[in-house]
Amino acid sequence: MAGESKGKQETFISELLFILAVTIAGFALQFVTGALDFSIFASPVNIMLAALLLALAFVKPATTVGRFGSGKVSVILLVSITLMSLYMGLVPGNDVKHSWPFAFTYLMIMANLALTMGRRLRNFKLKRDYSFMLNHFGLFILLVAAGPGSADMQRYFMRVSEGQTEWRGEREGSQTPEELPLAIALKDFSMEEYSPRIALIDKATGETQPSGKPSLLESIEGSEGVISEWAVVVDTFDYRPRMAPRAFITATRKADNTVTSGWVSCGNHFQPFSVLDVSERLCFAMTFPEPKKFTSDVVVYTKSGIEKKGLVEVNKPLTAGSWKVYQYSYDTRAGRDSEISVFELVYDPWIKLVYTGIILVMLGSLTLFWKGGKKE
Amino acid sequence: MSWSEFIYFAAGSLILWYSGTLLLYRAKKALWGNLLIVAGLTLFASFIAILWSSMDHPPLRTMGETRLWYSLFIVLVGYVTYLRWRYKWLMAYSVVVSTVFVLVNILKPEIHTANLMPALQSVWFVPHVTVYILSYAMMGAATIAALIALWREEGKEGDLFALIDNLIFIGFGFLVAGMLMGAVWAKEAWGDYWTWDPKEVWAFITAASYLVYLHASYAGISKRKALIIIPLAFIMLMITWLGVEYLAVAQESIHSY
Ligand code: HEM
Repeated sequence: MAGESKGKQETFISELLFILAVTIAGFALQFVTGALDFSIFASPVNIMLAALLLALAFVKPATTVGRFGSGKVSVILLVSITLMSLYMGLVPGNDVKHSWPFAFTYLMIMANLALTMGRRLRNFKLKRDYSFMLNHFGLFILLVAAGPGSADMQRYFMRVSEGQTEWRGEREGSQTPEELPLAIALKDFSMEEYSPRIALIDKATGETQPSGKPSLLESIEGSEGVISEWAVVVDTFDYRPRMAPRAFITATRKADNTVTSGWVSCGNHFQPFSVLDVSERLCFAMTFPEPKKFTSDVVVYTKSGIEKKGLVEVNKPLTAGSWKVYQYSYDTRAGRDSEISVFELVYDPWIKLVYTGIILVMLGSLTLFWKGGKKE
Repeated sequence: MSWSEFIYFAAGSLILWYSGTLLLYRAKKALWGNLLIVAGLTLFASFIAILWSSMDHPPLRTMGETRLWYSLFIVLVGYVTYLRWRYKWLMAYSVVVSTVFVLVNILKPEIHTANLMPALQSVWFVPHVTVYILSYAMMGAATIAALIALWREEGKEGDLFALIDNLIFIGFGFLVAGMLMGAVWAKEAWGDYWTWDPKEVWAFITAASYLVYLHASYAGISKRKALIIIPLAFIMLMITWLGVEYLAVAQESIHSY
């Protein structure tokens, strides 16, 4: 008995030493070559790496390599990656995510998962192992696709004017346009805004009144409300293309029924704002209309012959092959009159695998919910 | 139908939930307790349904509207968990948390009209946040239970270990679900599912810390010693939580749209 547990202890120490050695090697590489250039994992390296990791699932558990799939190893690796990410979350300006030791730990976690899955598969019992498999296999796929797989991701920004078709985009972080394998024709850019609002402002501090609990009135024709001791009515609201919104408001001070009225406007990039003074200290002003929704009506063409019409909105990208087109920005100076739309184009051939992993782990979390802490 | 009628529906639902939960504690009347809770859920859900049909869009846009969904979902999940695991106190706890959200909606109504920037207008917003809140509730309960177990003499923890493990497993399930929904949402909104921004880093630290607990027995760490990980992981969770709040504010001030 004693001898056996001593034997286990020794192998455990050898695994600990191995992890330590790999991590130190990572630090050494970091010291010598600087941050890890992630593009070295670009296809086909990541595909080969994925195949190699999967092959680990066939390694016999009792061998030296196989023992690396043990639960003990997983705990050391998890503690190690937690410490590294604590550093990432605490020390400003670090680049842990692109560092060699972090990448090596990530790699060892994938190896540990592949080995432990293989061990379970050798003597697989659905009822006992389904939860384990969903969680660990799902996580394995997710880690492979989101880690080395993401080295194949490409990201461009493209500015398109209404009525134009554009083939060129700028790579993330660069200013030189390149020709892309897809083009976007912008038929129309349109934008909805929330109504601007009327606010009472302290001219000295800029604070919205009543201080601490600001009250705002929606600037729509006919809307009425009370702000501090004024009853406010929006008599007219005027918002024409290319003009800043403006409202004619009437404010009645409740204490003495003094009435003040006039135009307020938030102005825009081309026109000045205007406020309505009601006392030495206070004036009524209008807030900027906030964007509610912006939409581009586009046709996307790819060199491979795909043609796709559709609307692109924030949170509603358009998919064309392995590309996704995102609504990114517009001419913010012109606001809703913008005739330009800026798109973000993302190419991510591994995205389906990422989603597969996400779905499997989601199902895995449902099994946790159902099974609770009961050990099989 | 509008927010002005909310107070009647909310008060009705809360009365049904509190009395139903109280009845659950009296084993003989469990049926009545169940009926009242379901009635409360139906009443609350019907307010959302009516509000929805009276607006031209689902009530998912303002903070006030999202709080409406939390108030419902927290009780719903608390109840489903009760049905599965028979933790009456969890049912009571979720009713109390729901009450807080209902009160905020009644006492701070001006927030109903807060505008939601386009990136937040997503179907993932509500489930993502709700699931996180549930996980937070479970992990909070597990932390208290772990501290009680540690306080007790060794060997006298009773059935606390089983309770703690259940809570951590269920809570971890929610935590992972919340994280992955966040990733899917980020992909839809920003084109990338994971960028290691500070909020994501801390969510990762939190999940990894709980994973250490889940796997601790393999490293020969005794059940009792492993309990120490739980309050530590909960500190990470709190940092993530406060970080999320902080970042939500920070996001609103970014004028990149
Ligand atoms: C979604 C995340 C994860 C969940 C929910 C999870 C859950 C679990 C559970 C419940 C067990 C015990 C299974 C049993 O008692 O039969 C287990 C075992 C194990 N897990 Fe995980 N785990 C996760 C992630 C990981 C990660 C990231 C690693 C690698 C670092 C890992 C490595 C292992 C290993 C090596 C075992 C031992 C399996 C055995 O010896 O049969 N797990 N995991």
